[in-house]
Amino acid sequence: MNRFVIVTLLCLSLVLAPGSSLANPGGNGDADRDYSCGGSCHGDPSLSMPSDANIEISLGNEAFSGQAVSVDVTVSDVSSPSNIIGIFLLSSLNGNSDTPEDHGWHMIQDPNGGSSNYIETKMPSSGTITETWVLLSPETLGSHNLYAEVHHGSYGGEKAYTGVSEAFEVTVNDVPEGLPGISNDWVAPSFRVSGDDSPLHISTRNTTDISVEWMIEGEWDPTSAPVQCTSDSEDGVCNDWEVRIPATMGEIEIIYRITTFNGTFSIEQPWLKMGTAPPPFEGDIWSARAHSFAFALLVISILVSLQGRLTLTIERKDTDQTELVNNSSLIRSEDNPGWLWNPETEEWVEDYEYREGAE
Amino acid sequence: MVSSATLHTAMAEIVVGSMVLATICAVGCLASRMLAPSGINNESLFITMDRASLAGSFLALLFLPIAILTGNLASEGYAESALLYNKFVYSGLALGLWSSFVIGRYRMGPGLWNYRQLAILQSSTAVLAFLMTSMASSIGGKLVRGESLFDILPFWLPSDSAAILPLWASSTLLLLGIISTIIVFRLTLPRINTMD
Repeated sequence: MNRFVIVTLLCLSLVLAPGSSLANPGGNGDADRDYSCGGSCHGDPSLSMPSDANIEISLGNEAFSGQAVSVDVTVSDVSSPSNIIGIFLLSSLNGNSDTPEDHGWHMIQDPNGGSSNYIETKMPSSGTITETWVLLSPETLGSHNLYAEVHHGSYGGEKAYTGVSEAFEVTVNDVPEGLPGISNDWVAPSFRVSGDDSPLHISTRNTTDISVEWMIEGEWDPTSAPVQCTSDSEDGVCNDWEVRIPATMGEIEIIYRITTFNGTFSIEQPWLKMGTAPPPFEGDIWSARAHSFAFALLVISILVSLQGRLTLTIERKDTDQTELVNNSSLIRSEDNPGWLWNPETEEWVEDYEYREGAE
Repeated sequence: MVSSATLHTAMAEIVVGSMVLATICAVGCLASRMLAPSGINNESLFITMDRASLAGSFLALLFLPIAILTGNLASEGYAESALLYNKFVYSGLALGLWSSFVIGRYRMGPGLWNYRQLAILQSSTAVLAFLMTSMASSIGGKLVRGESLFDILPFWLPSDSAAILPLWASSTLLLLGIISTIIVFRLTLPRINTMD
């Protein structure tokens, strides 16, 4: 009894132990995070080590107030082997309110298609990776700093590595009044459901027209997509658009570029990315559990009944002597009742089945 | 401390390792009885394989519920994909098959290997159980790392799409399973004796 209690307690402890887990070697997922995640393992001096990764920031195009700009972060020379790497785009290193959104930037799209300042990705075998964020520049003119930080581990898992770039100064320039661009509150969708051909909604500002060209990731020749204004226009200005981009299947990623027009202005926005997601799964966890245990019990009942059936057949075979008697070469003789003639040994043997007077 | 996903991996490794041993030994027992006795194929080897298959399957059966429980915790209460749903189903099939293997061997004893039909049934159960267990494990690999050793095989049991049952249907099936198990055990209890 004591042993049973000990084993039960041990099993329960093992099952309940994960509840207080601390380590996250597989990362924490994309999210808006401050510098060093506000004191994670990577920020703890006793648990972390400085990463020797080379981190560089560059701009894909010149930054204008309220206009889209692409920010490229290149990470190279990561000597510590790590499967997953987390990359931050930050505007300060205070430990709080560090995200670009906290400093007047607006996130249009992160490298994974979402809208987070921290993303996780797999490190390629080349050891160099470039990731691109698309943001709307702050309205405030002048100098703005951007930083990139990396978090990674090693296969040994003994330390959490962290590295941060030098400050990268972005000069935000003034723009002429009425310059067309992407709306401050629009976020590019990260994916569409497989087979969904519903139109893509785009919000702009100061636009009289837009054009959208798209292509599948890896192709070189973009195709124009039909666009339609969906809001009441004043003075020819329309800021809500629907764009028809064909439905995608499987794991196809579409990249598209919006060009905004207003009079003589024609502004090409950075390329944006849109993945394909499988249709939402409608399975229920309790249904799966019941389904699982139902199959287990049904399999047990089928196989155990089969075992019982086969055992019965074998037992019958063992006890049934009819076949043996039928195949016997013993000859019953009417002249010598109660005796059988064995032609092989040429001698009479007693017939145990003979009963006197019976026919 | 470790995460439930890591603990689940550890439990799954124990289960798979034990089941590999049990399956190889179960097939070995069948082969031992099918082939003519020789210097290698002797009674001692047969007894060792029989006991190893029983021990392996018993150990795996002991850890399988823990692996399923930790897997449940790791899934955080969501059957968010067909892969995860199928992992539940394959785990259930594996549990049923391994239980049948252990029940059969325990009730009939080592003598079951002397009867060709029972020996084939027993070893087939082990092979199928191992297939179901490795499928469930491979789905785990697919979910965590996006790849599995089964990717290199020319065949693959269905896992990307799932036959989803509504809760009422699953519950009815579960009730049916419980009733049929009770009936089968009540009917076969006096019938199956240890075979010499």
